Amino acid sequence: MHLSIFIRILIFLVGTAILFLPQWVAAETWYVKKSHTKLQAEASARSKVLSKLEQGTPVNVKKKSGKFFQVSTGGKSGWVFRFKLSKKAPAGGQDEGDVLGALGGSQKMAARESASGSSIRGLSPISEQHARKKGATSESIQAVKDMENYIVMPEQLDRFLENGKLGEYSQ
Amino acid sequence: MRKINFKISWFSFFCLSLSVLLFWAAPSYSFNLGKILKDVEKSTQPEPQQREIDVTIQEPTSPPPESQQSTGNGGLIGLGQSLGVFDKKTSKILKQSVNTLQALQPIAYKEEKAIGGRLAVEVFSRYGGVYNDPKLLNYINLVGQAVADVSNRPDIDYHFAILNTESPNAFATPGGYVFVSIGLLRMIKNEAQLAGVLAHEVAHISQKHALQTLERSRSLQGISALSLTVMDKNPGLFDKLIDEVSNVLFTKGLDKNLEFEADRYGREFAYRMGYYPGGLQNFIHKLGASKENGNSIFMSTHPSTGERYNRLKKTWSRYKNASLYPVLGRRFLSAFKRPDKS
Repeated sequence: MHLSIFIRILIFLVGTAILFLPQWVAAETWYVKKSHTKLQAEASARSKVLSKLEQGTPVNVKKKSGKFFQVSTGGKSGWVFRFKLSKKAPAGGQDEGDVLGALGGSQKMAARESASGSSIRGLSPISEQHARKKGATSESIQAVKDMENYIVMPEQLDRFLENGKLGEYSQ
Repeated sequence: MRKINFKISWFSFFCLSLSVLLFWAAPSYSFNLGKILKDVEKSTQPEPQQREIDVTIQEPTSPPPESQQSTGNGGLIGLGQSLGVFDKKTSKILKQSVNTLQALQPIAYKEEKAIGGRLAVEVFSRYGGVYNDPKLLNYINLVGQAVADVSNRPDIDYHFAILNTESPNAFATPGGYVFVSIGLLRMIKNEAQLAGVLAHEVAHISQKHALQTLERSRSLQGISALSLTVMDKNPGLFDKLIDEVSNVLFTKGLDKNLEFEADRYGREFAYRMGYYPGGLQNFIHKLGASKENGNSIFMSTHPSTGERYNRLKKTWSRYKNASLYPVLGRRFLSAFKRPDKS
């Protein structure tokens, strides 16, 4: 009789554990925030770059060490600068913001959108027409177009960070 | 050896079923009262004859005519009132709540960019146009891009520009446009301060502060869709949107809590990039003490520098281990040769 109760409790606990398991595993899945994120051989920005990860790529976080996370994705294992990863798939919203929310009451947005079309370039025709209608000068309109066309190359930014010991190069 | 005759009892079956319901089924559904109310309203109301009716700006304050209230045509709420479940006052509150929920439709990125691009033209028109210094512009873009990459919204393009005005100003318009004036840059001492200022502006964009304000605007209540097609067909609507955001950004200023939030996130983004995180608060302190801030919109549309500084100081403990992070004063000075003021 006692053994029977024991078995029942055991079944309940094992069942619960099995049911929880996928959620525990899912808690360690993070996502790449931006394309061209480097997957490196070691927890150092100067180590070999194994591959570059695309935005939204899920990675399984295995270890957290300072500013780097050890991850595996697509059959490869390596290290990624932690602030290039997010707990949620990128959607133009706030993720790590919860940390700050605890500090000072983060404002939550009423509604969010998915920023899937994130590489829209060029001043929208409706914006330009409206600006001209309201008497904006061609110089002001051209200034916005120039601003949009200014591109920082990833390699240049990488050298800039290395030179200043910033980002993944910080000590 | 005793043989255990194992048989799954009803109790075990019940426990397993309960577990399945609790841990699998429950998280699959989220309860959304707003959606339910809207769905019920939709299902009990006739389809509008023309889609354009959705974009008509409705005055939320005008109550529906008495006759409409008594016919029970108001969906679940109207039915509830007819059956005596809700009194008139409760029905009115519920209907207003549904209208408010309808006003909170998110503005998609394409539309956000159209609004922000138009406002960016306005910024150049109002605040001195472009300051022409390619080396300094490249530097501003590098620092700005660095902090934007570790922001909460790195998956959109950010654009940075310098305004040719001596008044210390900085702006962000929706969709990724960030501006700093040459007057403000003259007051900055090092790259950590610059990173903090740019990150504050990036935070306004990443947290969609202007859009939040727009979506909550009373004048937009009743609009259920806001697409470029709709705006193209209704030039008056785009006018209204631009006027609304211009008024907030250039005259009234954002809600001060949103400014405090941008300060906190701005400091956080600079910290994530490895800058000394006290750069922003040091600059705010300096701005408050400056004689040149009198005609700055940065001052008139923001909470007092003293309050902003104190709030950042209060939450400094998270960053106390980052006191020795680089400020990069020399690199800032080499990028920014201060021209003599004449």
